[in-house]
Amino acid sequence: MFPWRKGVASAVVAPLFLFSCSTAAHEERPAPASPLTKNPHMALIRQAPELALVDIQGKEVRLADLRGRTVLLAFVYTGCTTACPLLTARMARLQQKLIAARLPAVLVSVTVDPERDDAKKLALFGKRFGARAGWHFLRGEPARLASVLAAYDEWTQRLPSGELDHPARLHLIDGAGRVREIYSLAFFDEEQAFLDIRALAREAN
Amino acid sequence: MNRKTLLAALVGGIFSLGTASAETCLSPYIKAKSGPEKLMYLWTLPAGQGSDYLSVIDVNLASPTYGKILKRIEVGSAGNEAHHMGYTDDRGRIWAASLNTSRFFIFDVRTDPANPRLERVVENVPGLTGLTGPHTPYAIPGRMLITMASGPDGTGPGGVVEFTNEGEYVASHKTPNHAYEIVVKPEFNRMVVSSWVPQKMFMSPMDKWDPKQFSNSLTVWDLKARKIVQELKGDPVPLATRWALKPNASYGYSINHAGNSIWMFRRGQDGVFSYKKAADLSAGCLPGDMRQSADDRWVYVSCIGGGEVQAWDISKPDRIRLHDTVQGVVQANMMHLTLDGKRLYVTNSAISSIDFSPRYALRLIHVGPDGRMKQDPFFNIDFTQPPNGPARPHDMLLN
Repeated sequence: MFPWRKGVASAVVAPLFLFSCSTAAHEERPAPASPLTKNPHMALIRQAPELALVDIQGKEVRLADLRGRTVLLAFVYTGCTTACPLLTARMARLQQKLIAARLPAVLVSVTVDPERDDAKKLALFGKRFGARAGWHFLRGEPARLASVLAAYDEWTQRLPSGELDHPARLHLIDGAGRVREIYSLAFFDEEQAFLDIRALAREAN
Repeated sequence: MNRKTLLAALVGGIFSLGTASAETCLSPYIKAKSGPEKLMYLWTLPAGQGSDYLSVIDVNLASPTYGKILKRIEVGSAGNEAHHMGYTDDRGRIWAASLNTSRFFIFDVRTDPANPRLERVVENVPGLTGLTGPHTPYAIPGRMLITMASGPDGTGPGGVVEFTNEGEYVASHKTPNHAYEIVVKPEFNRMVVSSWVPQKMFMSPMDKWDPKQFSNSLTVWDLKARKIVQELKGDPVPLATRWALKPNASYGYSINHAGNSIWMFRRGQDGVFSYKKAADLSAGCLPGDMRQSADDRWVYVSCIGGGEVQAWDISKPDRIRLHDTVQGVVQANMMHLTLDGKRLYVTNSAISSIDFSPRYALRLIHVGPDGRMKQDPFFNIDFTQPPNGPARPHDMLLN
């Protein structure tokens, strides 16, 4: 990393944390990027709840149809101006790595804002991030989506700003349909996710 | 955008979604909550007969019922030894652990924060996990990690167990000691776990405690691998442990109860941790809890033995110094500091087996801009007699 880029990273982090949860009384030296774990612990967290939602072509996509492949499932919405686009950029980088490594994984982004995210908006959202084949952008009628959100312990709450508050997790699901990792949107690191998916591929082989 | 810059922006973005969290010392994975606090949840056990319960207390300064207990949610069983609690990552549930029966009580606080609902009781935790004596519930994405003091019969080493937010068992991870508290620094993918004594010992009167069984170490974990990578040995019984809050801060502190001291851990640039004594506490302090200010300027230490609360200036992390004390908080134990650093709530029951004073209360200490503390003479929830007692107040969460 060039020195000026280190400066940019620190400058981005510092003011946001001033706003959020801490203020730095004095400077710490920049740390190396988060240490990656090549052999992650991939627990059997639970069976992934089934979902059946429609993609941007109006075709129904069921989790059961994706059996045999690792699935990274994210809950986002296109009107989000902060974390969702950054997360989706990270997912795009992950997809590039997966394609380059010929790892058979599927990305799924489910909108938590079905009333505002129509198929056209979702398609534009995917295009904006360079999503390639194997990345589904799904939506469902509010009642159907509500049952999916509840099954994944997700929820939404409209904020006065118009943003949607939601738990913002990603679920890594193995080829047998079991949740093997849950990521926080705030701390999602596509390089570690790549290693996790590779670990699941090794396990399957 | 390179990996680190993107990660930084991502972290910043999610935090900027909400406003400031209501309190410090929570898992970094817990959703931000705007402050100031309006409600307090207090995990309470009767000093006599009756079921343990969650107290809901009005801490909204603008409310006509400020400083009053609004509600009690009984858990339907006695003798659990209500102790520590933790929010799930989405702040929708509270996990309340019980030292004696090892049960977990899961409360829904999202549906109606002022009216928590006991959603689930996780029974037979020793059977599920092989471990006993749960201490700290700590949120990670979609799951809770809980430190366990000991093996299935209440003796021997414990570990860290993992459950889904809803209460389904996921995994157990053994420790070489009696695990007490967890802190995670996601930037480093490192978790530090402190230690204390086995369940059979902490449920016995103090004169039965055998120093030979005291744990004296912090374990450092590769969180993703759930693997211990280092064990740091120091003074015995390192209880509360805090990692400095600013991004990429490489250091933190523990209070070492039986050593009557504060120790500092630090991650070196090579990723290897060191651990050294940072300060001796005043004679007879016997620290019970430590809280940190959001600006990494102060830590607060409660002295169970000394009956006081101490403010330590940690602005020079390697040369910390005692800044101020508030005396007269008999058996001072758990504390919770608001995010603005101005209000420090204090309870004064440790464990029913070792409490030496029945003067149970919830008190409030105000912290000035100069770091000086003053006990609020009016905020005093008396747990010594009806209608609030006799009962032992322990851990708190703010909402």
